[in-house]
Amino acid sequence: MKRLIGTVAALASMGALTSAMLPLRAHLSIATTALILVVPVVIGVVTGGFVAGVVSVAVGFLVYDFFFIPPYLTLWVGAPQNWVALGVYVIVMLPVAKVVAGMNEARANERRHSKEIRQLFELSDLLVGDKPLDVLLSVIVTTLADVFGSRQVALLLPQNGRPQIVASAGDPLSDEQLSLVLPSRGSPTVADAESFERGGLLVLALSAAGRPVGLLVLSSETAAQHEREPLLLFANQIALAVERAQLREEALRAQLTEEVARLSRTLVAAVSHDLRAPLASIRASSSTLSDTDLDLSPEDRQKLTSLIDAQAGRLANLVQSLLDMSRIQAGVLEPRRSVLPLEELVTSVVNDLTPAARGHSVDVLLADDLPPIDVDLVLITRVLANLLENAFRHGPKNTVVTIRAARLDEETIELSVEDAGPGVSPDRRNEIFGLFMRRDGDAGAGLGLAIAKTFVEAHGERIWVEDAPAGGARFCLTLPVAAPILEEARIAEHSDH
Amino acid sequence: MPNILIIDDDPDLLGVCTVGLQALGHTVLTADTGREGLSDVAIRVPEVVVLDLGLPDVDGLEVCKQIRSWSDVPIVVLSADGSEDRKVEALDDGADDYMTKPFSMRELDARLRVALRHRGTVDGSVTELDAGRLHLDLVHREASFDGAAIDLTPKEFDFLTFLARNAGRVCTRRMILENVWGPAYVRELHYLKVYAYRIRRKLGDESGRFLQSDPSVGYRLSAGD
Repeated sequence: MKRLIGTVAALASMGALTSAMLPLRAHLSIATTALILVVPVVIGVVTGGFVAGVVSVAVGFLVYDFFFIPPYLTLWVGAPQNWVALGVYVIVMLPVAKVVAGMNEARANERRHSKEIRQLFELSDLLVGDKPLDVLLSVIVTTLADVFGSRQVALLLPQNGRPQIVASAGDPLSDEQLSLVLPSRGSPTVADAESFERGGLLVLALSAAGRPVGLLVLSSETAAQHEREPLLLFANQIALAVERAQLREEALRAQLTEEVARLSRTLVAAVSHDLRAPLASIRASSSTLSDTDLDLSPEDRQKLTSLIDAQAGRLANLVQSLLDMSRIQAGVLEPRRSVLPLEELVTSVVNDLTPAARGHSVDVLLADDLPPIDVDLVLITRVLANLLENAFRHGPKNTVVTIRAARLDEETIELSVEDAGPGVSPDRRNEIFGLFMRRDGDAGAGLGLAIAKTFVEAHGERIWVEDAPAGGARFCLTLPVAAPILEEARIAEHSDH
Repeated sequence: MPNILIIDDDPDLLGVCTVGLQALGHTVLTADTGREGLSDVAIRVPEVVVLDLGLPDVDGLEVCKQIRSWSDVPIVVLSADGSEDRKVEALDDGADDYMTKPFSMRELDARLRVALRHRGTVDGSVTELDAGRLHLDLVHREASFDGAAIDLTPKEFDFLTFLARNAGRVCTRRMILENVWGPAYVRELHYLKVYAYRIRRKLGDESGRFLQSDPSVGYRLSAGD
């Protein structure tokens, strides 16, 4: 194509110059004409390469002879000095064409070479970056296909002891080609050769630190001999990068497995702790009551019986909460919302927990004219109960636990439970809501906060912990305001959009 | 003088234990934090301490260590989380015995009585030991079970002697290895299995009712029958 364009350009310029010179030919010397006819040849060589140059020289020779060497319009060369002019033209022009074409080719080569180097450099840059293994593999094959212009590129890594294609670019390898490439049995790589060529494919063994990593297969027709060397060098880098990515994934997987094992251990510990605590009181009470040798006063008997009852209730609640929590997490349970006044809910929870019996008092400070809320009564009751139990546990005896509620904005009320305990250090504020958070030796929050978080989030609301102004911890949560007007406002807002 | 101090953060459990142990004839004092417990041990000098390992303020293990640093009052630790490591650690740190929640009042009472009995009876000048049906003559290194002489190797005899000195109390694997084999052997846990198995066969106690195993904690000789 390029050749054709060059030839056409040369011939066109030759035609133009010839027609320009024709009227003047009586005044031009034969040597001047020859010099001017150099121009189309150079144009041909530069744009079309050596072959276009040769064609222009040949045509130039004919044009020169036909139009400018008398007798005109014949190929007859009259005087001997005209032969000399023609001869010089051809003899000079052919080397000129050769030199110019050579220069052009060298420049093109250099350009291609620097492009390759740049691409290789970019590829090695990609290899250095931290990428997941599968991304890395596809980057390698597509870049190689790009740089070396290979029709087929495939990367094989051992999987279950057999080399398998894990990434490829261009046409996929046929089964036939694959069987040519693969070592006949067992060994994942070519044992003795770094590279070999078979059936039109170039196969490179990738190895890192002497350990075989895999195979790189390229269709060999495009990879010219002078490109083999950078390719071989490059195979080493690829091998190292692949090995590194594999090791990193392995390390990540090991870390993950360990983490899962640790979490399940702590979960079991948390559940068993929270179930055992009420069971301990029940067993201690029931074993005392059933011991006929013991002389118990009617008051003691009554105390133990009602304690068993209360603790059995606590256990039942906990089991129900755990079930509800897993149902919510599995997406099976949705909060059953109903409209109710917050004050009623708070009062009933506080009364049920008998704070006085635990050496605490509770201050309830609710803002006036709070609108009713739209929540699942059972779930939010347990959330508040868990927060209060947590506050009783962490607040020193004879301190006050404060429950506050105020309107946050049109749609939400903020409810908070404040204790006078040691507070929660900022780095633990997220973890304490985790199912698995328990320090060694700390019976801790147990499951209560994790349950609370799940239930609050099931309502699409938030729960968090911050410092109370007077020290201690303040657990806050948002609750949705129930207002029919609000619903309409929302709909109006949506239709505006 | 208060008889028993219970340190636990669960007010309900404290209430029950008070009622139950009083009915069993003890005087009971309670503390619901580690700090309060520590000062009660110092000020009110109980004869035995029941210590929960999961306290809100100070780690139960730490309380145990601190008490042990200035008092040899018997300590029975309570563990709720079932993690063997912590109660073994407490025993190695000087606790006398452990109970896993939940427990019955009689079990707690029995453990407390053993702990009370052992305090002050560990005496180097003892020449004979009796533990239930087992009789050990420490001078002639002879043993009999239900009156019938049994033939023991020296290490088997030492193993039984150590358990008999602590009859009724659990001895951790570390304690036994350190005292019978020496401090260099504390990791040789398989010794214990082998010796316990041999001794049980010689005593005709294959079911392990006399020489009892506390899984992943240690061994104890039954104080009864």
